[in-house]
Formats: sequence, C-alpha cells, structure tokens
Amino acid sequence: MTTFNVKRNQHQRIILKKSGHYLINLIGAGASVEILAALSAKSDQTYDLTITTHHQAPHTTSTTLIKAVAQDNATVNLTGTIKVAKKAKNTTAFLTENILLASPTAKANAIPNLEIRTDEVKCSHAATIGKVDEDQLFYLMSRGLSKKKSAQLIIDGFLQPVIERIKNSFATAQDKSESIITERHYA
Amino acid sequence: MSRFAPIPPPAVNIKGFDQNYLAGFAKPIDDYVFKSQPGLSETVVEAISHYKTEPPWMRQFRKTALKIFATKPTPTWGGDLSAIDYDRISYYLRPTDRQEQRWQDVPKDIKDTFERLGIPQAERKVLAGVKAQYDSEVVYGSIKKNLAQKGVIFLGMDEGLRKHPDLVKHYFGKLIPPADNKFAALNSAVWSGGSFVYVPKGVEVKLPLQAYFRINAPNAGQFERTLIIADEGSKVHYVEGCTAPAYSSQSLHSAVVEIFIKKGARVQYTTVQNWYKTVYNLVTKRAWVEEEGEMIWTDFNMGSRLTMKYPSFLLAGKGARGETLSMALAGAGQHQDAGSKAIHLASHTTSTIISKSISKGGGRTSYRGLVSVSPTAKDVKSKVVCDALILDSKSRSDTYPTNRILNSDVTLEHEATVSKVGEEQLFYLMSRGLTEAEASKMIVSGFVAPLIKKLPLEYAVEMNRLIDLEMEGSVG
Repeated sequence: MTTFNVKRNQHQRIILKKSGHYLINLIGAGASVEILAALSAKSDQTYDLTITTHHQAPHTTSTTLIKAVAQDNATVNLTGTIKVAKKAKNTTAFLTENILLASPTAKANAIPNLEIRTDEVKCSHAATIGKVDEDQLFYLMSRGLSKKKSAQLIIDGFLQPVIERIKNSFATAQDKSESIITERHYA
Repeated sequence: MSRFAPIPPPAVNIKGFDQNYLAGFAKPIDDYVFKSQPGLSETVVEAISHYKTEPPWMRQFRKTALKIFATKPTPTWGGDLSAIDYDRISYYLRPTDRQEQRWQDVPKDIKDTFERLGIPQAERKVLAGVKAQYDSEVVYGSIKKNLAQKGVIFLGMDEGLRKHPDLVKHYFGKLIPPADNKFAALNSAVWSGGSFVYVPKGVEVKLPLQAYFRINAPNAGQFERTLIIADEGSKVHYVEGCTAPAYSSQSLHSAVVEIFIKKGARVQYTTVQNWYKTVYNLVTKRAWVEEEGEMIWTDFNMGSRLTMKYPSFLLAGKGARGETLSMALAGAGQHQDAGSKAIHLASHTTSTIISKSISKGGGRTSYRGLVSVSPTAKDVKSKVVCDALILDSKSRSDTYPTNRILNSDVTLEHEATVSKVGEEQLFYLMSRGLTEAEASKMIVSGFVAPLIKKLPLEYAVEMNRLIDLEMEGSVG
C-alpha cells in the first residue's frame, strides 16, 4: 500500500497509472488533493486500483477522477472509498469512476464507497460502466474510417478529459508525486 | 393503520420507554396456549412441526435447516450482531387456538391492540383483505369474495401448506434455500406464520393485499415466511406494515420472503418497518422475474435497533424489469443497513434502485447494494441513486455499492450524495416565518417525497405522520 499525507493548506495532485492500493490522508486543515487516473487494459491484463481518501481535518477537499478502458479479455477493478472523520467538518469530496468496456469479453467491477461520520459535508460519487456507443461508431465509419480506427478514436476521446487535466497539471506543476501515465496516451 | 383512525392517547408513563413512540404499548398476555421453551434445539423444531401437524418433508426441511444454521458463521460485514443471544429467544408461540374468521370472535386483549393500531378502520376503508399477524400466528383473516372467485389465494403460510401442499412444496425454499445465509437457515428451521399468495393467470388484484405483523411477547422471535406466486400476466400489490410494542430486552425478527413472477406478471411489495428500537430485523427477500415480468420493492425502514435487509431481484427472463425504492431513517442507537441487489441473468433487462436515507441523533444509515450482470445478459440497463441526509454531527452515513459487470453490452450508472440540511434552505424558510424545527421537517419531507408518492394513499399519510413524529425535537 502506498500512502500519501497531505498537510495543512497544501494542494497536491496525484496521478496514478499502476494497479495498487493507495491511501491518501488529508491530515491538515485546508488540505486539498486531486487524484487522476487514465487506465487502458488490454489482452488478459487486470487492473486493480484501490484508492482510499481519508479526510481527517476540517476544510479539506478531494476530487478523484478515474477513467478506465478495458479491451479484449481485460478486467478493470476500481474501488474508491471516501472516508470523512468526525472532526473533518466542511469537507468537500467527489469521486468519479468511468469505465468503458471496449470488447464483449471485457469485465469491470466498480465499487465506490462513502463513509461519512459528520454533517457539514458535501460528498458525492458517481460510477458509470458502458460500451462504445453504436451511433458514434456508425458516424465515424460513415466518414470513411475503419471500424478499428473509429473505435480507437472513441476510446481516445473517452480518456481525453483526464489526459488534458494531467497535461495541465504538469504545465503548472509545483509538486510531482507519482509517475506519468502510459506513454502512448501521453505522446 | 390509517391516518383516518383516531390517534391513540400516549401510552401510560412507564419509566425508560419512549413516550413519542405511539405504537409502544404492550398488552399483558399470560395465556399463550403454547410457548416453546426459550432456546433452539432439534426438540424445539420437532415440537413446532408436530404442533402444526406438518407433512414429513417440511419436518425434514426444518431439521436440515437447523443443522445448516449451526454451522454457518454469523456475518461480520454489516451491523453488530454480537448481542443476539439465541438461547434466550422463544421460537414459537400462538396466542389463540383457532384461526378467527369474524372480528367479534377475536379475543378482547388482542382486539384492543389492533384497535389502537387502527386496523379495522383501515380495513373498512380500502383493504382487500387483512391478515394481521399477532405474534406467530394469523389470528384474524378475511378476503373479499370477488378475489376468491377469481381464484386468488391469500392465506396464512401454515394454512397454505395445509390446503395447497403441492403448490407450496414446488416453490417453498427454492429461491432462498436454507443454506443461503445464517438467518435464512434460522427462519427455515423455526418459521411460523407469514402469507401465502397465489394469483392465477391474467388476474389483476386491484386493491393492495395487506398483512400486519406485530411482535408482542418479550424475547419472542418472529420468523414469518411469505411466498408469493404471480402467474402469467397477473398483477398484485402486497403490503406489510410492522409495529412492535416497547420492550427493554431484545427481540429478533428474521423473515424470509420468496416471490415468483411468471411471464408478463407484475408484483409490488411494500414494507413499512417500524419495529421498536430494540428489535433486530434480519430479513432475506428475493424475487425471481421471468420474461417481461416486473418486480417493485418499496422498502421503508424506520424502526428496529439494527436492520439488515437487501431486497433483491433475479431478472431471469428477457425484458424483465426490477425496481427498488428504499428509504431509511436512523435515530439514536439505530443502524439501518439496507439496500438492494439487482442480478441481471437475461438480455434486455433493466433495473432501477433509488435509496434515500436520513440519520440523526447519532444514528447510522448504510446503503449496501449490488448490481451484477452475467456474461450472457446483453443490452442491460441499470441505474442506482443513493441520497443521504445527515442531520447532526453525531450521525453517520455510509454507501457501499458493488457493480460487477461481466460483459460490455451494459449501461450502468451509479450516483450517491451525502449532505446536511442546507443553511440557505433553512434560512429561506425561516425568513418566511417558519420555526427552525418546522423548516427542517419541511426539508426532510421534501427529501423523501418522491418515494412516499409511490406508496398507497393511507400508507403515504401514515409515513408522513411517522416522519413528523420522528423528527420532533431534532433540529438539523
């Protein structure tokens, strides 16, 4: 398990690209964290990503955005937990998990959890699991692209918002923590 | 229970009892005809089966279930179950010998209790039939003639077993076998009471069928068993409401509900759970939905010390639909661990789960749910929405959804939010002249209104009244 501690009034961006168990502790008042991940699993790969964001101090903020594509026989397992301790008043926490299943045999498990022990909070999470949109595919193919190319464009477009945010975060980066995402998407 | 019934005067002032709890009165009953010794053993199970003169297969079913119960570990993932002492619970009692058919024949003691709950009034007004379960046996039962003429069967489970042994044997324990979980095993071993409903092909039951459950002896476990079979193209709405009188020692309620929905049929099952705040409510409910069938669970949990209940549907036929509307309210010392399970086994199936929970005064609400899509189920749609409201800083709210998707032809959405009563909303309402308490009450009513609208009228009214009652003295 990898642990990050975010201190008082510190802002941190954490970019994850590997399977693993991550614990992010917001231990100082006013701490904020942005957690980003764009994952692409192929062939028989399995991605297991478990992220626990623990708000332990008041006025802390966390935003988590994970987008994952599962192709071929790949499996994506995402578990995101937001914990808010009793003393962490005025917490804001958002968690989004989007999974695109790009092949009929791809599999996904999405478990977004919330454990809230106080009021004065704004917490929400959302999870979606879907496939490559038939209409979008049809449109691209009607413009002369092959099915494979069209699907790839849709997949790239799906991951784009996270990749943009990651790029921006490097442009303005003060603190780099984890490694960069897969080379192909970053190129 | 109906709003139109007179509101009973507050119970006699007994030290330590919650005076706000309207249904919290206990009738002294010493003349139970049969009360098994507290504790669980093969002798007790034999005695229950013997007493009910059951067929040998049922006796065997009970004995097997008892063995399974003994070997199953107590679940550790939900609420705290460590305080349940199985040796202090009486597993069977029946207050009167006979099944009553006419109201005037019902013993006065029991009648008084019902009177205070407003059952006869409710019945006169809208009910199609009432099966009021007083402790472990159906004491009073009636059904409108036209339903019987259409071939609709609405009986106590014991009576159903006697009168329709083949039908019961064919379905009983097939959807929730004793080995499903520890409490299903316990229920299978010692069950008594509950309802048996059969709706024939194409019959639409227009008025809701109601069963009224009530626990009245200290440490009396209630283990009712309900079986509903909706044949092709039929429709039925079954309503159960629970209240239990005030007791300081813990009671256990562990029911099993099995529902079979044939092609094109529709079943709605509504629960209003208002057990007293010492009751453990550990219930297994499941529906099997065939082609184009529809199952709707409306599940309202207000009472009990701990509720663990996840009504589920197995969407087994093409185009089957499932819907759960779940509401939970947890006050001081309460834990509502509720949710729903949607299991998609066939193509073109859809499910919707909407959960709203409110925690206050140190209470805890948890949403725990599952959406599972099998590899062969194509074109599946599922939507899960969980909203939680926390009214003070002592309370807690959790959301534990699991989404297991084993093929790509799926559209799944899950969203959850947790919030408190908004300062701006409070400020606005108070600026219009409401007190803080009234304003909070109004915000909470608005929060749960979309679910309450789905209830039959008299229940909706009762629900609003219960929420008002629960909200009294708590300011967000």
